[in-house]
Amino acid sequence: MAETDDKTGPPVTLIEPIDMTKLDPNFRKEIQNMPDGDEVNACFACSTCTAACPIANQWKYKPHQLIRMILLGMREEVLSSREIWECLTCFQCQERCPQGVRVTDIIFDLRDLASEEGKIPDAVKFLAKELLEKGQLYVVTADWEREDLDLEPEVPGLSTDEFKEILKRTRTGKIAGGE
Amino acid sequence: MPTYNLYMGCSVPANYPNYEAATLKVAEKLGMELQYMEGVACCGSPNLRAIDYFGWLLVNARTLAIGEKNGHDIVTPCNGCFAALKDVWYHLKHNEEDLKKVNEELKKSGLELKCNVRVRHVVEAMYTDIGIVAIKERITKPLDGVRIAIHYGCHLLRPKDVTEFTPEVLDELLRATGATVVEYPLWKQCCGATVLPVNEDLAVRLAHDKLKSMKDAEAEFAMVVCPACGNQLDLQQFGIKESYGVEFNLPVLFYPQILALAMGMSEDEVGLGMNRVPADPILCHFTSE
Repeated sequence: MAETDDKTGPPVTLIEPIDMTKLDPNFRKEIQNMPDGDEVNACFACSTCTAACPIANQWKYKPHQLIRMILLGMREEVLSSREIWECLTCFQCQERCPQGVRVTDIIFDLRDLASEEGKIPDAVKFLAKELLEKGQLYVVTADWEREDLDLEPEVPGLSTDEFKEILKRTRTGKIAGGE
Repeated sequence: MPTYNLYMGCSVPANYPNYEAATLKVAEKLGMELQYMEGVACCGSPNLRAIDYFGWLLVNARTLAIGEKNGHDIVTPCNGCFAALKDVWYHLKHNEEDLKKVNEELKKSGLELKCNVRVRHVVEAMYTDIGIVAIKERITKPLDGVRIAIHYGCHLLRPKDVTEFTPEVLDELLRATGATVVEYPLWKQCCGATVLPVNEDLAVRLAHDKLKSMKDAEAEFAMVVCPACGNQLDLQQFGIKESYGVEFNLPVLFYPQILALAMGMSEDEVGLGMNRVPADPILCHFTSE
């Protein structure tokens, strides 16, 4: 076993102290009241979610830490983190959580909260604009390919007007129009 | 003949008409009547759920309400559309307050959602309503046991209480064609499609790992049932070649393409030439009974 020469610093197992003045005690309640937050309090920080996450290695805040940060009230750090937007939403953490915490769904809720405050990555903001302009995500460009396969050149039944109409009035409209 | 509301979404028709054509042709042979839904909107993708939860509820509730009118199940070939419709259905089924809010909006266009409609992946309808026995009866050119790795897709399998889908469905469907289902360590791992907009390097890494895991397990082909996963595993092989200098050369096929060929349809009928990594080597593995 290697011995540490430097005995002056804090033990390496300790994380940075949390600035208590910045904590938002209501954050936990806020998440609990969102569509998937019912079970968030049940987290006992076993970090099974982190073990299941295929990309946790590159994150500063691991999935179990994000949940812990919610419970502690670290609202600003969580909602500004790049982690909530890089989550693959593969649901492996949620599937394995022994406490029934809907970890991935909660990350979706966190994005929704961040979006309400305008904290959205540019690439996602761009997608919002695209959705609003086109009324769909992908538009048929190679209609000859479709015709070769005896398919209608346009997608049968897909209507874009109502989609645009709805999203213009909801938050997407604000995000895409609020430049 | 069982009749279904077909929700095609936007990604399949725009990017993979071969998947669309193969699905329609297989369904016809199996005696399933798929009717394109009229006047439905795009599901908005998981990105819409992330930035505009209520807007996402509304557009998908509208689609569900349209499907509910004629009482037929909604089926879709896209895991993304599947997840959106299932998620919204699940949420509104369990949240009266939001259902009420949504219905107030839907009322303006003469619609109402009662959450009686059922949403399913189109291949699950083949599995459950037609059944493996009947599918096997239609197979005239079974595969010779060729090794195929299945990528199920995260949003098809999870969260299970919402999707109600088990991986065995795809295993059995593939085995019915005579192929061998390859077990590989990363079978549950994400293809990386969802993270493409915000971190492309990461998306490429995930696709690379997935394909490598399949290759290491000696898969000769990969199978998908989602256009986004298809894109990540098939087209992205060119991105992987650029970033990693690795050439997997692993052809990726949609399940209905494999099934259609095993039922004796031609490669043109299933648009095999549109698969990005040339998939015609599969043709050498069909036997004639």
